[in-house]
Amino acid sequence: MDRGMVIIVGALLTFASSWLGLVLLPYRQLQNQQPYTASPGDDPYPRQLSEKALAGVGVYSANGCLYCHSQQVRSARFGNWWEGGEMKTGADIRRGWGNRRTVSRDYLHDRPTLLGTMRTGPDLANVGSRYSPAWQHQHLFNPRSFNAWSTMPSFAFLYRREPVEGGKRAETALRLGREWTVNPGYRWRPTDEEWDRILASQPGLADALKAANPGHFDVATPEGKARLLDFWLTTEEADHQVVPTADADHLVAYLLELRKAETPLPEAKE
Amino acid sequence: MGVTLTPPTPADRAQAARERREIDSSCRGPVLHYAASAVAWLLVGTTLAVVASVKLHSPYFLTGSEYLTFGRVRMAHLQAVGIGWSAMAGMGGACWLMCRLSRATLLYPKLLHVAAGLWNVGMVANVLGILAGHGRSVEWLDSPPYVAPFLVASIGIFSVWTAATFVRRREPHVYVTQWYILAAVFWFPVLYLVTVGMIFWVRSTGVMQMVVNWWFGHNYLGLWLTPMGVGAAYYLIPKIIGRPVHSYYLSIIGFWALALFYSWAGIHHLIGGPIPAWLATASTVGSMMMFIPVIAVAINHHMTMLGSFHVLRYSPALRFTVFGAMTYTAVSFQGSIESLKDFSEVAHFTHYTVAHAHLGAYGFFTMVMFGLFYYMIPRLTGREWFSARLISLHFWCDAVGISIYFVSLTVGGWWQGRMLNDPNVPFGNIVEYVRPYLFTRSVAGCLMGVGHVAFALLLVANLAGWGRKRGIGPAYFVAPAGKPAAGEPAPV
Amino acid sequence: MTPTNLAILATIVGAVVLFGAATVLAMGWAVRAGQFENFDRGARSIFGPDEPVGEPTDAFPRETD
Repeated sequence: MDRGMVIIVGALLTFASSWLGLVLLPYRQLQNQQPYTASPGDDPYPRQLSEKALAGVGVYSANGCLYCHSQQVRSARFGNWWEGGEMKTGADIRRGWGNRRTVSRDYLHDRPTLLGTMRTGPDLANVGSRYSPAWQHQHLFNPRSFNAWSTMPSFAFLYRREPVEGGKRAETALRLGREWTVNPGYRWRPTDEEWDRILASQPGLADALKAANPGHFDVATPEGKARLLDFWLTTEEADHQVVPTADADHLVAYLLELRKAETPLPEAKE
Repeated sequence: MGVTLTPPTPADRAQAARERREIDSSCRGPVLHYAASAVAWLLVGTTLAVVASVKLHSPYFLTGSEYLTFGRVRMAHLQAVGIGWSAMAGMGGACWLMCRLSRATLLYPKLLHVAAGLWNVGMVANVLGILAGHGRSVEWLDSPPYVAPFLVASIGIFSVWTAATFVRRREPHVYVTQWYILAAVFWFPVLYLVTVGMIFWVRSTGVMQMVVNWWFGHNYLGLWLTPMGVGAAYYLIPKIIGRPVHSYYLSIIGFWALALFYSWAGIHHLIGGPIPAWLATASTVGSMMMFIPVIAVAINHHMTMLGSFHVLRYSPALRFTVFGAMTYTAVSFQGSIESLKDFSEVAHFTHYTVAHAHLGAYGFFTMVMFGLFYYMIPRLTGREWFSARLISLHFWCDAVGISIYFVSLTVGGWWQGRMLNDPNVPFGNIVEYVRPYLFTRSVAGCLMGVGHVAFALLLVANLAGWGRKRGIGPAYFVAPAGKPAAGEPAPV
Repeated sequence: MTPTNLAILATIVGAVVLFGAATVLAMGWAVRAGQFENFDRGARSIFGPDEPVGEPTDAFPRETD
């Protein structure tokens, strides 16, 4: 080939063919999709996200949650092989990630669409129906306070550890033992010497812990002292509390509104 | 080899060498600007990669900082190596190849410096912006909104410059490498503009954004990096071993088949997802058709090498390039098979795909670019690489590193997929099962990092003028057994 | 058939005709213009008197001088 024009024109044509087929055609097929109304007077589905949740989408995408969590429930007929005397089908739904598969209409208002391509963590399409706000906050603050095996990052930077003003805790404060709150993001445990010093500085502590946790152990032995420490670590700090920042509130608001695989849609039936 | 040529006279040789040298030295400034920037981004990207990788199996590592949370580091890594290193290495190489193959000296070097500078400014804003929390979680397009203008301006200048150089060509024949470069510098800007437009400006509805997203994500590799990599290999392999391409006819088939089918392949990433089913099917067809260009290129690259494998021992550039070319064949076959529905049901959503992506972007593209740099840079600076041992270290760290990387994530990812599809396996078991594989990946990543540091040292030393001066003639520095060294530099 | 489907069908048929015709024209031109001849010249175009066919052009640098 001795002519550049041939290459440019050819490259243009092949490129245009794929744009036409893979972009323009589906664009035209999907652009008129409307929300679904089951019967007149019902709220159309999907609903627009609340203002807080929209801000939460920003937090979700700025921190790359998408890179470990997908937001799509695959079909009940998805996957099919026989293993250990059982048919392995529709794992997403059977894991409780949603009641049905998600379809294009579920994402109508999503900007950006956070479909995801990786499941280092579980699918979040329908996570709003699974957990309470308190659970979400504590889990974001330190996922290992629920599941020791979790490798999810701690999002302690979305929370603030502050002194308790006037002996009254904020309503939004996390109800979490001091092992998680003393050093936000990590799991704190004093050394034996530090623990001795703490016990010595607070004379009533050992007795109070013993009274609150009846059982047969001797506080004088190292095992007994370690056991006492375990009890103490699960109690809340008296003088400090951890409260969510606005970002954490927005993120949790978004997670709670993620209910993509719940409302029945005619096209999602199989 | 049909025709036998009369051996060139010493005067012919000297004349041709002078012309080649003139072209090479005209490229020096801008191409080194691109190359050095690319290597800097490679180091940044590698550091981010290791941080992200360690965080996946040791969640308490650097957990206190919001700037270094996994999601941000993961995005910044992809931008640094994908848009920083890969694109800049490709553009620098394309610049030099275009001048050499057109037998034209480089015009308007300042313009290219501006283009490279714009890209660098865009990349600094890109990586820092993502770490500061402006990332957008659109795979491959995570860059904050203020980055696109820099990249668009830069690639605009570069593409126009490439076309201008091509128009000024003195060599009547347009070589395969030039087809690939011309097509790539046309495809990428159009692709980027269309995608950014349809995702961020026009704001297409819901899943449509994902369709455009994967059309882009796959085409970034297929229509931008792959043509650059394959094109460079098409020049380097024949040139280094001194043997024309096995079948020029096949290279034409390969080029047009790639142009036609690669751009159709991207949507198989969404198989089983909430998109119209015909879309994924069309993409699977495109992916299967990719066997044609891949086999054509494979026959050409490997058959050209046949009988010259001993040169691998003597030439660092060839070692990297051939490693890359062989990986290209392997990764493309794997990719076509991965697009099949039954296969994708297991592999999708797992680390298996990550392994595949790295085999393509690293095992193939990056290795070919290393080969190109080893060949190109001494010819630009007029200095030899100062240490053969560091080159060997670089090669073995990278080759062994990517192999460990690929095997560990492929095995771990495959079983991760099987367990995900089995509703009786608790999620925690899957997380714990994958951890050792992820740890192995971190080790592999560190190994590759050592190789990159060795390469960066070599480059800095070369730019600093630390290394033997090159002679005018061709560069067969060490005579292979039983062969005289051609073009030995005259004793000073 | 809805108007949307009709429009999509029309687009597909139109595209097939357009791209098919372009391919046929391109092939015709390529054969007439002699694009399928003399491949050897193209493959050899990267070699020259200074770096002829048969001479390798790269090697590890010497450790010592």
